[in-house]
Parts: sequence; C-alpha cells; structure tokens
Amino acid sequence: MTSRPSLFDPDSARAVFIGRLLLAVSVLLLWQLGAGHLFDIFFFGKPTLIAASIFNDLRDPGFYRDLGVTGMEFGMGYVIGGFAGIACGVLLARWRYMAKLADPFLQALNAVPRIALAPMLIVWFGIGMSSKVFLAATLVFFIMFFNTLSGIRSVSPALCSVAKIQGATQWQIFTKIMLPSASSWIFTGLKMSLPFALVGVILGEFMVSSVGLGYRLNAYATAYNTSAALGMIMIMMCLMMLLTWGANALDARLMGWRDGGGDGAAAALKA
Amino acid sequence: MEVEQLEREAGNMTSTIAASTAGASAANPSAPASPAADYLVLSNIAKTFIARGNATNALSATNLTIGQGQFVTLVGPSGCGKSTLLNLVAGLIEPSEGTITIGGAPVRGTDRRIGYVTQADNLLPWRTLRDNVAFPLELAGVPVAERRERADFWMHRVGLAGFGDAYPSELSGGMRQRGNIIRTLIYGPPVILMDEPFGPLDAQTRIVLQDLLLSIWEESRSTVLFVTHDLSEAISLADQVVLMGTKPGRVIRCENVGIERPRDIFQIHEHPEYRRLYKQIWNDLGAQVKKAVE
Repeated sequence: MTSRPSLFDPDSARAVFIGRLLLAVSVLLLWQLGAGHLFDIFFFGKPTLIAASIFNDLRDPGFYRDLGVTGMEFGMGYVIGGFAGIACGVLLARWRYMAKLADPFLQALNAVPRIALAPMLIVWFGIGMSSKVFLAATLVFFIMFFNTLSGIRSVSPALCSVAKIQGATQWQIFTKIMLPSASSWIFTGLKMSLPFALVGVILGEFMVSSVGLGYRLNAYATAYNTSAALGMIMIMMCLMMLLTWGANALDARLMGWRDGGGDGAAAALKA
Repeated sequence: MEVEQLEREAGNMTSTIAASTAGASAANPSAPASPAADYLVLSNIAKTFIARGNATNALSATNLTIGQGQFVTLVGPSGCGKSTLLNLVAGLIEPSEGTITIGGAPVRGTDRRIGYVTQADNLLPWRTLRDNVAFPLELAGVPVAERRERADFWMHRVGLAGFGDAYPSELSGGMRQRGNIIRTLIYGPPVILMDEPFGPLDAQTRIVLQDLLLSIWEESRSTVLFVTHDLSEAISLADQVVLMGTKPGRVIRCENVGIERPRDIFQIHEHPEYRRLYKQIWNDLGAQVKKAVE
C-alpha cells in the first residue's frame, strides 16, 4: 500500500503498528461515513453515536453498580469453579479407580448445554447473584478439571523415578514433582476459562436479573438502542482483553522456565 | 577387590549371599576402615518382562560381585540388559529370580544408599540449576542455608559457578549433564549407578567430563557401576570392565584394568595395557554386537 515499496519492511514493529492503525481508522471511517447510506443506523449504529453512549455510560453511577455486580459474580464464579475443578482434577488424577468410575458421568455433565439449565437455575437459586455465579462456575469447573487431570497424568515417569531414588516420599513426589509439572496445564486452563466465566455471568444476567452489565445490555437491545448496546459490547470486549492481558503477563512471569530464553545459545558456547 | 563372574548353575550360588556381614557399615559409608570385597553382590539374577503375552528374557543367570570403592563399567551391545541391571540394583524393578545385596543388606525398593545418574539429565525444568542440585537435600529436610552452600560448592567444583540461577532450558547439554551428576554426588550415596551419562554429548565434552568424574571419584571412592556402549570409555574409567552379551542378556566376562591411578584420561589410549585390553575385549564385544543386530 505504500508508495515506496523499497522502504517497506514488513517485519518492523513500526510497519505493523502503522498498518494496524490504518486498518482500524479505515474500518471506522467506512462505518461512520457509510452509516445512513450503506448501512442502516437502526441496525448497525454509528461510531460517533457508540462513542457518545459509551461516554454516557461511563458517567452514569448506575453503570458502576452494574459493573461491580458483574465483576463480583464473575470473580466468585471463576474462583469457585476454578478451585473445585483443580481440586477434583488432583483428586481423580491420584485415585485411578474413582477416575474410571466417574468418567462417563463427568462427560455427560459437561455435555449439558449450559443455557438449557437456565430455567432450572432460577428454580434452584432464585434471581439473585448465585444463579450467575453457578453458571460461570460450571463452565470454569470442567475446563479446570480436565486440564488439571491431563496435566498430572502427563508428568514424566522418569522425573518421578529419579525423585524416588533420591528418597522422595509419595507426598513429596506429589507436591514437588507432579503439581509443579502440571502447573503449566493448570495455568493454561485458568487463562482459557476467563472468557467462559464472563460468558456464564452475562448469560445468567440475560435470563433474569435487574442488575449487571448483561442486564444493561439486554435493556438497551430490547429498547432498540443499537448504539448503546454496541457500546456495552465494546466495554465488555475491553474488560475481557484487559483480563487476558493481565493473565498473559502473570503467566510469562511465573512460567518463565518453560521457554529457554535467549541465553541458551550463549550458554552452549561456554560449555 | 575381585569381580567374579560365575557362569554356574543356580543351585551353587546361594553361598555368596550369606558371606557378607557388612550390614552396619552400609548405613554409614565413611565408617569402614577396610573396604569389603563383596560389597555389591548380584546372585543369580534373572529378569523376564512380559508384554502382550510375550515373555522377554532381559537378563538371565547373572552373577556379579563388586568390591567397595570399585569403579566398574558395564559394556555391551544394546539389548544386553545393562539398563535393566541398573534398574534392578536401584530397586526400581524387582528381579524375577535371585537377590541383590549391598553391604550384606538386600535391596528392597529404592533407598538413599544408591544414587542413579540417568542418561537423560532429568533436571526439573521449573527449578533453577541450584534448586535442582539441592533437590535431594531438600527432600531430606536439610536447612536452606546449608543446602545452598553445598549446591554452590558442587557447582563450583564442576565449573558451573555462576549458573545457579539459570533454568535447565537455558543451559547446554554438557552443563545439564554436569548438574545431573552433582545432584547425585551432593548427598553422597555409597553406591552410584550411571547409565551412559555422557552418551548424548559430543566427543570433546565427553572427555572433559570423564576427566572431571575421575578426579571427583578419586576423592570420594564410592562404588560406581557405570554403563556405556563405548569400550574406550569403559576401559579408561574402570577398575573392572564387565562385558555383557545379548540374547539373552548376561555377563560374559570381566577384565581387571591394571592401569595405575590417577590416570591421564587424555593420554590413556597410548598406554600398552589399554591397547591390550581394548583388542582383547573388542573381539568378544564385536561378536556380541553382530549378534544383537541379527
């Protein structure tokens, strides 16, 4: 696209950044200028209108109450589901008989479409926060459960044998070999389940609620306020990206041992 | 100080087991004044593996007596049961027949009297080199400061000083293998098993590490059982070379290496004794290698 192709280096960070900026601006521009001519504002909104409604939302104290409730449900669902999933994964990885016995039942439970639980959730938990927390937790639980189970099962038997020879007890092998070895699987599970937890919460809020970001979005959409609804979706998108970014940063920090880093080659020369 | 290789019938062998009474000394490797001649004894060992209904004779009628403080190398073609033999001594697997004793006490499962240096370095990837080296001390509940000090001592000893905070993935193969070796040396087991520890390394790194291993061993004089497929390495390092054969895996013969210590590993192949042994063992080894690939 550049007028001087000889100066264009597709690998440089700058070229990538400029390319991205151009893409974003041209899409927004097309949307903005085409709104009312190419696309119907009623269905697709208009960037300036969406920006204005996001601005309105951010100034509304009610928005922060909704954000707080959704955040609370999300956090509780994530922590409860994650903790239960890891605990069950560890338990069944250690207890072979129980794992074999429970396997078809767990597969069956995981096969239940969560949305189908919706009417029952209201019967079981009422319309408060607990139904949303439960929905998020069931989604997170199975991801964490299966990841933890696979992680512990994929531990190298040689590492366990070496530790055993060096005098490790069964408990030491479990805490010092199996759990750390499975930690990268567990971490991957924790990252994967972030968006699922949010989906669970928003879904729960759609079904029945009087508070939360999902409720807010639903209210805008049922009032045919497209720009406000799209604005809400963008806010959710940004929140999710922020969470994922945070999780990636934490992962890189804690799991630094996985990738060799740049020192490998230099170290090899010194040997 | 004799390695006996007895190709006798099963019935004759029971007497060797009762002979040794050095059970107490096994618990404390530094205590005995005179090393026991029959420290590590394998009596009529056989091991059969059964996989999908087929029985494989990995090792049959194997007898071996190793004196305390001896450096013994096992050499033979692949499939001759060298690794099986080490796993048996380590207590990782149980023999189908026969008994193994160390200092008179039978081997029952794994125990801290035996160290095992595996062919793959098997360092824990999530631990730094220092924490890997100190791992056996951590298992035994040694205080942090002491294990750090001892790990640093050993890392310095083998030229790994300054790499204590590196993760295994950041180190070269030779460095990782040194870490693997000192991880066993750090807790001072009286018997050390080594399964081709220099196998994956290049020729130069290999000879440097052989030299390093010998100089460390000269100080500790632990009993070493060292598996290799490299005859040159087997003769250079050993007091005794045990030649193993295949189909079925067994001990064929033992040779004493009458080369004085300390040895110059870089020049040892000039030694007439080295040449004599090499030629002598190579004839038999060559026949076994041909048999193994048939």
